Amino acid sequence: MTVTASDDAGPGAPTHRRHTARWVAGIALVACAALIALLATSPAQTVTEVDTPLVGQTAPALAGPTLSGGSFNLEAWRGRWVVVNFFASWCAPCQQEQPELVAFAYAHRSPADAALVGVVFDDSASTARDFMRSTGGTWPAVVDAGGQIALNYGVRGPPETFIVSPAGIVVAHFDGPMTNASLDYWLARAEEGQG
Amino acid sequence: MSRTGGRLFPSWVPMAALVVVVVVALGVGASRRGPAPTPAQRADAIDALVRCPSCDGISVADSSASTAVAIRHAVAARVRAGQSDSQIDAFLVSRYGPSILLRPPVHGWTAWVWVLPPAALAVAVAGLVTVLWRRRTRARAPVSAEDRALVQEALAGRAGAVDRSSEAVRAP
Repeated sequence: MTVTASDDAGPGAPTHRRHTARWVAGIALVACAALIALLATSPAQTVTEVDTPLVGQTAPALAGPTLSGGSFNLEAWRGRWVVVNFFASWCAPCQQEQPELVAFAYAHRSPADAALVGVVFDDSASTARDFMRSTGGTWPAVVDAGGQIALNYGVRGPPETFIVSPAGIVVAHFDGPMTNASLDYWLARAEEGQG
Repeated sequence: MSRTGGRLFPSWVPMAALVVVVVVALGVGASRRGPAPTPAQRADAIDALVRCPSCDGISVADSSASTAVAIRHAVAARVRAGQSDSQIDAFLVSRYGPSILLRPPVHGWTAWVWVLPPAALAVAVAGLVTVLWRRRTRARAPVSAEDRALVQEALAGRAGAVDRSSEAVRAP
């Protein structure tokens, strides 16, 4: 009689292998489901503080016409904390961020309080104006024709946000959508740092 | 004209001549200066070495992204204003950080990127020359009278076999 491998392994071996395969497949399925659930429930994009050469330096010039037809010059806003936000209407994280900025601007509407200014990044003035109007954005938004303001601030893609101190120094740079709470947190930290 | 061991020149002469030719060619190539580049050519050369900030691993010269276009305009304006290449690089680094440059700076750890390849090449060439030199100068095994007789016998046998085969061809 010839002894084969299956004979040697015994009659229960194939069943045992099938059980093992089912267990492995089940564990892989659960792991995939957990990963999908994790990705689906995590925030779409989170803000990160960026360590850029501008932090600690005098804020580059920020002046130009605004979407509402006026003009803006950061120099004239010395003595106030200023939040500079680069945005575009086509940018999904900017759309996500906009209600938070509206809340921040409303909470800081006092003339002596921190100010918010937008800079249009790679977007047409008319589209950006419609975006601001439709979302309730009432703060000045500077038109950056040619992208030279963005270049001077080292912006790679919207939304990016800078906090400028009353002395005109860039104290923080963020990449990604900000929230009203995170802006308040970072402003408070910056004020502590200045004090 | 001197003959050494039946040769026209000593064996090291061709190698020395090759080294001289390479050194002279490199020297001429390095010292040769073409016409001064135009401002546009300078700007293009700088653009080719600046990373597009909103792209993945391509230069601003190769990108149509708005950030790349803005940098190209800024570089052209600064070239026209008479700034040197290093001044323009320094401006871009002051905005975006050192990663904006596709060519790593020659200081700190990044200096190794520039130093290691030529050093490795020099070591490899030196090793190759040493190995070849040793092979050439290694003492040859002495040839005994028996060896010579064996070779003569083999050669004679080979000559005889050739003669027989040629006769066989002519036979018919």
